[in-house]
Amino acid sequence: MTSLVTASNVSKRYKAVRAVDNVSFEIEKGRIMGLFGPNGAGKTTLLKAVLGLTDCEGQLSVLGLDPFKQRKELMRNICFIADVAVLPGWIKVTQLLDFMEATHPNFSRTRSEDFLSRTKVRSDAKVRELSKGMVTQLHLSIIMAIDAKLLVLDEPTLGLDIIFRKEFYSNLLNDYFDGERTILITTHQVEEIENLMTDIMFINDGRILLDSTMETLPETYVELSASGEDADKARQLGPIYEHDVFGKKVMTFEGKSKERLAEFGECHTPSVADLFVAKVKGAAA
Amino acid sequence: MISHQFALVKREIWEHRSLYVTPAVVGLVLILTGLTALVFASGYQEIVDIFIVGAQNIAGEAERRAAMFAVLIGNTFPFLFAGAILTIFYTLDSLYAERKNKSILFWRSLPITDAETVISKFLTAALAIPLIASVVIIVTHLLVLLIAGIFISVEGGSSMFLIWKSAPIFDFWAGMLVIMILLPIWFSPFIGWFLFVSAWTKRSPLLMASLPLIMVPTLEYWVFRTHLVADAMQTRFEQLPMFKGIDPEIFFNERELIASADAISLIGIIDIGNFLASPQMWAGVIVCGLFLTAAIYVRRYRDDS
Repeated sequence: MTSLVTASNVSKRYKAVRAVDNVSFEIEKGRIMGLFGPNGAGKTTLLKAVLGLTDCEGQLSVLGLDPFKQRKELMRNICFIADVAVLPGWIKVTQLLDFMEATHPNFSRTRSEDFLSRTKVRSDAKVRELSKGMVTQLHLSIIMAIDAKLLVLDEPTLGLDIIFRKEFYSNLLNDYFDGERTILITTHQVEEIENLMTDIMFINDGRILLDSTMETLPETYVELSASGEDADKARQLGPIYEHDVFGKKVMTFEGKSKERLAEFGECHTPSVADLFVAKVKGAAA
Repeated sequence: MISHQFALVKREIWEHRSLYVTPAVVGLVLILTGLTALVFASGYQEIVDIFIVGAQNIAGEAERRAAMFAVLIGNTFPFLFAGAILTIFYTLDSLYAERKNKSILFWRSLPITDAETVISKFLTAALAIPLIASVVIIVTHLLVLLIAGIFISVEGGSSMFLIWKSAPIFDFWAGMLVIMILLPIWFSPFIGWFLFVSAWTKRSPLLMASLPLIMVPTLEYWVFRTHLVADAMQTRFEQLPMFKGIDPEIFFNERELIASADAISLIGIIDIGNFLASPQMWAGVIVCGLFLTAAIYVRRYRDDS
């Protein structure tokens, strides 16, 4: 496996605030990494550093390049949707494709037009005349027509209705992801990409709380529902987070044997959303 | 690099339709003004007759040429004035709007450097605006002269003689093109300043760009009792080194005029050597370069999060 992104001791300070605090991680080729964190956790700052939009302390290498110093070279092989609706409203669809063709060496107009022909986006329309969902489709059609090694998506479906959101991810998986490409994605709607990710990372207060592959999650994390004395006994084992559900205690454990915990109640693998809450709240407790 | 610049400048023209709409409107207004003047003149038949007869038989070649030269000048100045205002608004908007509407995030996701982008906005202001204006000016001149020619023919005069042989159109257009290239270079410190403000300011680019132009000279006078900045700005408008000194007498002294029909030439008053040898011109180019570098730096390093 080759690492596409290598970060070691990366920090980014905004005056007194450490938006990203001494973070180290790797993203390997062909993986889909989901990055989660509460608002203001440092996700966007970290993505900006990866994309060379902001400088940072520490060592950061993306596709073997220094993203801030070699941004132009980097952008030939990386593409990103940084936020929804950042395509300029005045531009016409055809103009956008003309411009991409003239400036991006890895852009295929045919692929983009092919994708657009399956949507309601008219080629003579201006971006401002399109609905939010259609703008995202247009943006996606461009992204998918770029033969890039790394795709970075920051809240790509924010503000879209459920149908567009579902379609967005199914297009991404079916038309874009081929096992060779690598995707780094952040979103609030964790459950939407839960089955799509191969790797997961949680970030809070600028620090990484979790960095794991999806395969190893069930081995490491167990959620236990227990009540009464069983709950008290289980608590001795040191859950990272505990909360009440319908009178039962629900505890999240890290690195504890499932067989052992099964003695106290019902065990299962926590959903990513539950694990996220457990990690963030557990860390805060 | 060059093909990138071509695409980037084209993008600016797509985005800012005013770059071609403004000169087109000015051209249309001039043509309509010309038409109105002729319709008005046709109400005074005797005067028109005397004028045409006089122009054909009594006036000399130089006078006819001078008259047509004045017509061309009159149909060019409004473009220069509109072009200057257009350039100010374009440059102030160009790096500000992309941040305001967040499209900068998209533009920066493409393999284009910040330097390429800022340079393309400078080229749009210094090259594309004057070239577009020049094309519209030439078309306007042709239409105005054509309309005047038809009027003269209808009134019984010779349009070939009075207009097409008298108007120094090729000399004028060639001179105009040279001026259109040199003027933005001469005023480039202002273009650079506006682009820098556009990249840097978080609000009201026009206010932010104009305030220092007033404040800095005032402060300089308060503190040092000197007015170097004010003088530098004033001479930029008063002494344009691309023009030879013109003796205004030439247009008023009949004998001189008759003797020097060839002297009525736009190319004739342009002095490229003097322009290139002007230290003020080079100083201005350096100041512009500094502002552009600052604009690139701000676009690259600014992080609004």
